[in-house]
Amino acid sequence: MGRIIYLDHASTTPVDSRVLKKMKPYFTGLFANPATRWTSSISQKVDEAVEEARKNVAALINALPEEVIFTSGGTESDNAALKGVAFANRNRGNEIITTPIEHEAVLKVAERLQDFGFVIKYVPVDSEGFVDPDDVKKLITPKTILVSIMHANNEIGTIEPVREIGAVCRERGVFFHTDAVQTVAHIPVDVEQMNIDLLSLSSHKFYGPKGVGALYIRKDVQIVPYMDGGGQEQGFRSGTLNSTGIIGLGEAAKLGKEEQEERESCIKEFRDAFLKKILEEIPAVYLNGPNDDRRLPGNISIVIQGIRNEPLLVALNEKGIIAGGGSACSAGKKNPSHVLEAIGVPEEDLFSVIRITIGKDNKLEDIDFIVENIKEITNQLRALSPFWEE
Amino acid sequence: MYPKIIQEHFTYPKNVGRMKNPTATGSFSMPDLAKAVFYFLIEEGIVKDIKYQIAGCPFAIAVCSILSEYAKGKNVKELKNITLDTLGLFFEIPTEKEECINLSLNAFLDGVKSA
Ligand SMILES: Cc1ncc(COP(=O)(O)O)c(C=O)c1O
Repeated sequence: MGRIIYLDHASTTPVDSRVLKKMKPYFTGLFANPATRWTSSISQKVDEAVEEARKNVAALINALPEEVIFTSGGTESDNAALKGVAFANRNRGNEIITTPIEHEAVLKVAERLQDFGFVIKYVPVDSEGFVDPDDVKKLITPKTILVSIMHANNEIGTIEPVREIGAVCRERGVFFHTDAVQTVAHIPVDVEQMNIDLLSLSSHKFYGPKGVGALYIRKDVQIVPYMDGGGQEQGFRSGTLNSTGIIGLGEAAKLGKEEQEERESCIKEFRDAFLKKILEEIPAVYLNGPNDDRRLPGNISIVIQGIRNEPLLVALNEKGIIAGGGSACSAGKKNPSHVLEAIGVPEEDLFSVIRITIGKDNKLEDIDFIVENIKEITNQLRALSPFWEE
Repeated sequence: MYPKIIQEHFTYPKNVGRMKNPTATGSFSMPDLAKAVFYFLIEEGIVKDIKYQIAGCPFAIAVCSILSEYAKGKNVKELKNITLDTLGLFFEIPTEKEECINLSLNAFLDGVKSA
């Protein structure tokens, strides 16, 4: 295969070579179980590295190390947060507030909780995907125990006003969870300043390994551990630690903190140049979500009218360009994105969306090549399309 | 990823476009708005020309192209009997792509049956 231009970083990122280097010794020589640190010197070394990772993750979000619990990733963190808070606070109430644009790792958990007697209320979003903190306030009742609203949306890049939402929750004495899987290490995240009680993050979205993440749990939050066993992670999450993965996450967090500003400005430059060019070059293209600083630096979600995204993505892949936006097609059964529906994208455009998500290693010089290819393939597909009239 | 013949017809689809004065047309749509339209020029029962338009996945596009090549010069009567199994002679049909293939096939059959 020739050169690959990877533009699907919201889906996952490659492991940074410095992260891999940090992890390597812990696969073989330093393999011991960190739990046996009092009796084994190798375990002690692993334990120290795990605790260093915890400090790095905590520093990235301005938390205390003891408030960081390692998990298997964003999905587990979201599950642990919602189910954990729900079951621990059942005596106080049974209402949970969330949005219709959350990742499935929150939405499906909320649906599951309904089977156990919890009531889920959805705050609406506007046409750019924003939640209004006043709407959250209106939905809170004495029975509300948790608000879960994502920091930024994975499909359309909308950054929610979490600080204001957090303030509303704090004022009303309701716990506030945010899924920050798309923002940690990409834009500043500060649990103190943003009034956050629980926060989910995932390593593979910022150049760490897959299958590892963390849940931040503020000290005073009541939560039922949902993984019982040997009592690791202060009893919140039993199971032998994925030490190698955690150490990789820690290194990715450290690099993420050091390089966040620089990465953000390069990525923004790419995004703005790319967007300008594609809007100029191809007619009947428009952006989903906001077009200002309230958008994730690396996210471009566009509708290309008259075509379906899947053949475009497949044809781009043949040119070595990997973009996102289409779930695998099974024609009639294919469900439109719940996020695009929630922001009111017209029905005929729902399958015409591609998502370009930029990473720290994308090169400005490639923009012309990428846009030229998208343009050429779009023209071919429009020539085929019964929905396109020149 | 895709069978070779699908890959080829997806990359270079044949007989693409509308037809000015077709003698028969057929179309089919999916609930998710994927759509295929076929145009036939039939003289004395023989397919003289065929064109189509399609908004669908790569499989659906390739199948339109394969069907259009297959149909040229053939008797419409014969074409009425095409099924998924007929296409199975050209490539292996993955179960999860049956619906996509049926989109194109149904549009095609809608046309030949109206002829
Ligand atoms: C917003 C959001 N939440 C949760 C997840 C799930 O994270 P993970 O893949 O680590 O389970 C993702 C990743 O797709 C995401 O984008």
